[in-house]
Amino acid sequence: MHPSIVQHFEETAARSGAAVALHWRGTRWTYDDLSRAIAAAASGFRERAPERGGRVALLLRNSPQYVALYYGALTAGLVAVPLNAQERASVLIRQIEHCEARILAGSTDHPEWPALSQAAASAGCTVIAIAPRDDDSSLDQFVRDVGGQGTPFADRPKSDELASIIYTSGTTGRPKGVMLSHGNLAANSAAIIKYLALTPADRGLCVLPFHFSYGNSVLHTHLLAGAELVIEDNLAFPHLTVQRMQAEAITGFAGVPSTFALLLGRVNFKEHDLSKLRYLTQAGGGMAKPLIERLRAELPHVALFIMYGQTEATARLSYLPAEDLAEKLGSVGLPVDGIEIQVQLDGRPVKSGEIGEICARGASIMQGYWKDPAATREVLRDGWLRTGDLGHLDEDGYLFIDGRTVDMIKVGAFRVSPQEVEEVIAAVPGVEEVCAAAMPDELLGQAVKAVIVKRAGADVDERAVKAYCRQNLAAYKVPKLVEFVSVMPRTASGKIQRFKLA
Amino acid sequence: MADALNDQIRNFILENYLFTNDTKALGLDDSLLGRGIVDSTGMLEIIFFIEEQLGVKVKDEEMIPDNLDSVNKIAAFVSSKRRAA
Repeated sequence: MHPSIVQHFEETAARSGAAVALHWRGTRWTYDDLSRAIAAAASGFRERAPERGGRVALLLRNSPQYVALYYGALTAGLVAVPLNAQERASVLIRQIEHCEARILAGSTDHPEWPALSQAAASAGCTVIAIAPRDDDSSLDQFVRDVGGQGTPFADRPKSDELASIIYTSGTTGRPKGVMLSHGNLAANSAAIIKYLALTPADRGLCVLPFHFSYGNSVLHTHLLAGAELVIEDNLAFPHLTVQRMQAEAITGFAGVPSTFALLLGRVNFKEHDLSKLRYLTQAGGGMAKPLIERLRAELPHVALFIMYGQTEATARLSYLPAEDLAEKLGSVGLPVDGIEIQVQLDGRPVKSGEIGEICARGASIMQGYWKDPAATREVLRDGWLRTGDLGHLDEDGYLFIDGRTVDMIKVGAFRVSPQEVEEVIAAVPGVEEVCAAAMPDELLGQAVKAVIVKRAGADVDERAVKAYCRQNLAAYKVPKLVEFVSVMPRTASGKIQRFKLA
Repeated sequence: MADALNDQIRNFILENYLFTNDTKALGLDDSLLGRGIVDSTGMLEIIFFIEEQLGVKVKDEEMIPDNLDSVNKIAAFVSSKRRAA
């Protein structure tokens, strides 16, 4: 086992040098190209932040430049903090301050870059602007942008050193930064490569954002296996995505339930030659059985891996071997290598078939939440990670999910905190009280619904609320529906009953 | 006529994604994806609008950025489909 994905990558790159690592729009970077870019980024970062463990915030959409910056930070002994490229500057600034970032590196074509770079500079951050070229000049431009002088350094990352902080959807006032060590990333990547049997012959297509744990794992696993990764960052044109799968002879594709719902809804797979496609992976929430069955019917030759995990476990906790799908339909499978799963009630394991909280321990469990020991103690207890998910194990040890213990709203691939939406809407003039809840959505699984009690005589309507949310929240957090009521449903002790508003 | 179509498309996007009447909030050549105004589900809703309200069928292979990624591109696409009909 490598102590870090840095060493693992270097070993892979030494073997795969001339092979294509990343393909993005009009540019292809080989493993040698990527190594050169990583070295430039590492020395650029180290020269600006010589102390080990300094945080480097990254604001770029999926691109080779993102990958080089991420690996560059880890190689330099710094901590990569990938920022949500869909988020608003006001939220990202809080995260930059929270993690005390020393450096902000980002793409000049990002809509939030002007506001964010200015705020970061005012907060004492060194700002590195990247012009994200997507043609033959991309590598040379990147090396110029990071401006490293090629400073050599000898210290290699150790497995227990902090490698990355990923911010999960917390409230605006309380961001939760999941701390992942080099060992966490290395262990989880190795486990996934093993069960997917990734090899240098593979060519994956990634439409998932790298800054979240699923896309992050797709990136690392393909690079460490010496495979090629074809990069996109959206699924706005599903027909083009499937055309690309054919044209590029894609062997693997990762999605969340809404990804597959969109593809199945808009594309006729039988009109495309997808004979090279050998695996699909699905995580990011439970996929309905009818959708799984449609996918298998459309692509019977493809191995479909249903998976489960969370950012607090680096990415993957369990996977269902493709050959078990028919017999164990509805399960999320068995623990990945290096992970142990137990279903517990009051800290004790329950019998098979009994529902309790899914708990896990092992090599890819996070180090804790950044600067939040109280929140850390809530989820890391007695050596176990408490996932917040309810589930049960069958008599063969296969895991089934039975719901969540917390109120997060799952909109497509994203998790939305109802509290965060409520805090924003509470500031709209005329709003007396607000409660955000999940409502079912055919495509996305869930959407956000906001229920509001207006102040007496106030003149506020749905459009005004949505416009205000659009200014202050990422687009996927804006409520799809806003309702006005005269009184909220409450418990006897006065607590709003969110579930009654869904 | 062309201006009326552009206005209708722009107003739809302003109303449903930016929740404003301010036409200055959206340039006719602004990339809807690049500016983060529309995502994958948003694009499906735009296609629904084109089919239901503008009366033009969008084939799967016509769902490409050149036809859909800005107000002007949508207008040009719709106009050419109408002329061909």
